[in-house]
Amino acid sequence: MAVSAASVAGVFAERLGPERLVVDPGALSAAAIDGHTPRWLVRPASIDHVAAVLAVAWDENLAVVPRGAGTALGLGPPPSRVDVLLDLTALDHVLEDNPDDLTVSVEAGITAGGLAERLAGRRQWLPVDPPGWRRRTLGGMTATNAAGPLRARYGTLRDLVLGVRFVQADGVVTWGGARVVKSVTGYDIPKLMVGALGTLGVVCELTLRLHPMPDAEQTWLATFTSVEAAQAFVARVVDSSLQPTRLELLNEAALRVCHAPSAPFGVAVAIGSAHPAVREQGERLAALGSSEGVRIAAVGDNVWTHYDTALAPAEGEVVLRIGSLPSRLADTVKVIERALPAAERAALITGCAALGTLRVAITGADPDTVRRLVEDLRALTGEFGGAVVIESAPTAVRTGLDPWGPVEPATLNLMRAIKQEFDSRGVLNPGRFVGGL
Amino acid sequence: MDAVLEIDLPNRCAVVQPGLINLWLTTAVSDRGYFFAPDPSSQMVSSIGGNVSTNAGGPHCLKYGVTTNHVLGLEMVTGAGELVRIGGKAAERPGYDLTGTVVGSEGTFGLVTAITVRLLHTPEAVKTALATFASMTEASEAVSEIIASGIVPAALEMLDAAIISAINASIGKIYPDAADAVLLIELDGPRAEVEAQAERVATICRRHGAVSVTVAADEMERALLWKGRKEAAGAVGRLTSSYLLQDAVVPRSKLPQIMREMKAIAARHRVVIANVFHAGDGNLHPLICYDDRSAEELERAKQANEELLGACIALGGSVTGEHGVGLDKAKNLPLQYGEADLNFMFRLRRVFDPAGLMNPDKLLPSHPACGEGFRPKRPVLPAGAWI
Repeated sequence: MAVSAASVAGVFAERLGPERLVVDPGALSAAAIDGHTPRWLVRPASIDHVAAVLAVAWDENLAVVPRGAGTALGLGPPPSRVDVLLDLTALDHVLEDNPDDLTVSVEAGITAGGLAERLAGRRQWLPVDPPGWRRRTLGGMTATNAAGPLRARYGTLRDLVLGVRFVQADGVVTWGGARVVKSVTGYDIPKLMVGALGTLGVVCELTLRLHPMPDAEQTWLATFTSVEAAQAFVARVVDSSLQPTRLELLNEAALRVCHAPSAPFGVAVAIGSAHPAVREQGERLAALGSSEGVRIAAVGDNVWTHYDTALAPAEGEVVLRIGSLPSRLADTVKVIERALPAAERAALITGCAALGTLRVAITGADPDTVRRLVEDLRALTGEFGGAVVIESAPTAVRTGLDPWGPVEPATLNLMRAIKQEFDSRGVLNPGRFVGGL
Repeated sequence: MDAVLEIDLPNRCAVVQPGLINLWLTTAVSDRGYFFAPDPSSQMVSSIGGNVSTNAGGPHCLKYGVTTNHVLGLEMVTGAGELVRIGGKAAERPGYDLTGTVVGSEGTFGLVTAITVRLLHTPEAVKTALATFASMTEASEAVSEIIASGIVPAALEMLDAAIISAINASIGKIYPDAADAVLLIELDGPRAEVEAQAERVATICRRHGAVSVTVAADEMERALLWKGRKEAAGAVGRLTSSYLLQDAVVPRSKLPQIMREMKAIAARHRVVIANVFHAGDGNLHPLICYDDRSAEELERAKQANEELLGACIALGGSVTGEHGVGLDKAKNLPLQYGEADLNFMFRLRRVFDPAGLMNPDKLLPSHPACGEGFRPKRPVLPAGAWI
């Protein structure tokens, strides 16, 4: 039964309180996503509020776009429609804190910085650090499986989310996973929700595994004249007894914005452990460097602060996430360099060298250059089952080419069937996920 | 289907068939300094396909994570008969994490035909210590403090008096008979880190009343300390003709409490409960002993088992930590999940296996929420608001 816009607003106002509903045209157009102005902007303060909004949306066939800090709205194609913009930032509470178990349950709208402050006093952390992480929400980072240099040691949120409470497209509140660090009870629903971009449900609560913070962390920078030499050095580090917390490749432009020593390529190796162990591993790294003829110098920890600031998502830039392999890093970087004209060589190339993932950030590139770059990279990574995803780009770039890239037909059919089962009406983030889901 | 299809050390991964025995993979790469981390006690006989099916753990998953943390991709035939490839060597692949969804699904989604796994570099140093305590409570408190202090041991295993005497009777006196609890602590990593942590662990154990702390001097001594733990299940034959094995989990800070409750449950139902378990992640493995010639005793053991599981859940725990749900524990899922949660799982299963051909009675209970036509409760919207 279709009802008028005024009565939808009436239900939202009645269930959430009028102060949690924005209908002012100016505010709504300021919140537009890729040119789609939402008809309502709601700010739920509880999971029950989210459930009420989705129940209405389901019944009325309204498209809902969840939003945290708004830093990842450029991921995926533009939405096919936007009726309700669901601002989750008021869901920012710590629900249950278990320091002795190294677990914490939080609402999804809390920022990673907010949680870090809460944990600071006890030397525990959630070691997930995509650039600009402090102001990103944990819900948004979960929906996009965002990661940074620390994934070299700690993995991604996929490895750290123990339990999720989410609202299905039709408004049903659902729980999956456990509150303990080890559980195989039932299907692993948290894995299904991490990286699903909110297309199967709106995640409102997370139970997370924390890690103890190392007593000390020290970073060394190895510099190289070629990316092949950098790749070979990374292989030696990985094949040694060293256990880096971060093992990050940086090109010349990235080294510059990190205020690091200048070189065509650098590999930043961070070692986190007990004090004597950091010292000892540092000596070993130096020995490895001198036996290979590689220049290595200690750098201050502020290299990571600069990294975080300089690479944080910015308006108008194009960011690519590339799943390459450690053995194909140099090939991948060469494709990037070939595809970018000299004027756009300011591209920041970084990535977790230990896992073969790369991130490229380009400012002011024209859409044709980006399209050529993505096509060349997909041709290369297609050889070994890698991937190239446009993490963020202006709308024009993301309408001209598929930001997700190809998924094998049989696999995509399975994904489509899952989406069809849980959101047959296309209420959640319609059009923004792989294959137009 | 037990072949190693590919070993790719530059990218630290391997592709194997599901019938490959877990330990064989480590054997195939250990001379080059690598290993496959998931190490269920059954690793000499269990297959990697089985490990994927149950998302198996093992003593060393405390530090390294369980099977799902080491599976990069799968090839499988779904219950609908479709051959699909999901995940793979490279990260950042777009779409739902179907690999993570399928691991641990106990064969109810389809048949896995190839597995891409991560390989890890063998740690430089390993140090194994054995601490004995006069009570399980003290040992449990030591475990809690080790975890809370920020040390992540590779393994942290606990054995109680009943198991200790069974092991000593079965394979020779390797643990002190007088001990009421034994903690087996293994640290691995760079040498300097291991040395620093070993000292801290020993201090914590002594502070909690450890009667003795012994550190294995060499690989032979280390193997001997582990021998008892690895053969514990067999040694139980000295204690009892039959037992029920529980696999519940509690938050690790709740170990002292659950140990006290377990004692009371054992007394109430007049059964012996022996304990050998993964203390570091709170994963209990109580063996509830009974005489299989007595139906009445089996009944008491079953009651103690269910009561114990209930106590673990009441403390915020989980129904199963690593053994899986199977047939036996399907009925227990409603302890941990509500109707909407079960219904979500039922619908997910139906996507992979619409005709219900794969392991039909396993994992999900026969419960209204796991049947066709069930609708979980939605929010009730105010009447009249629509007009």
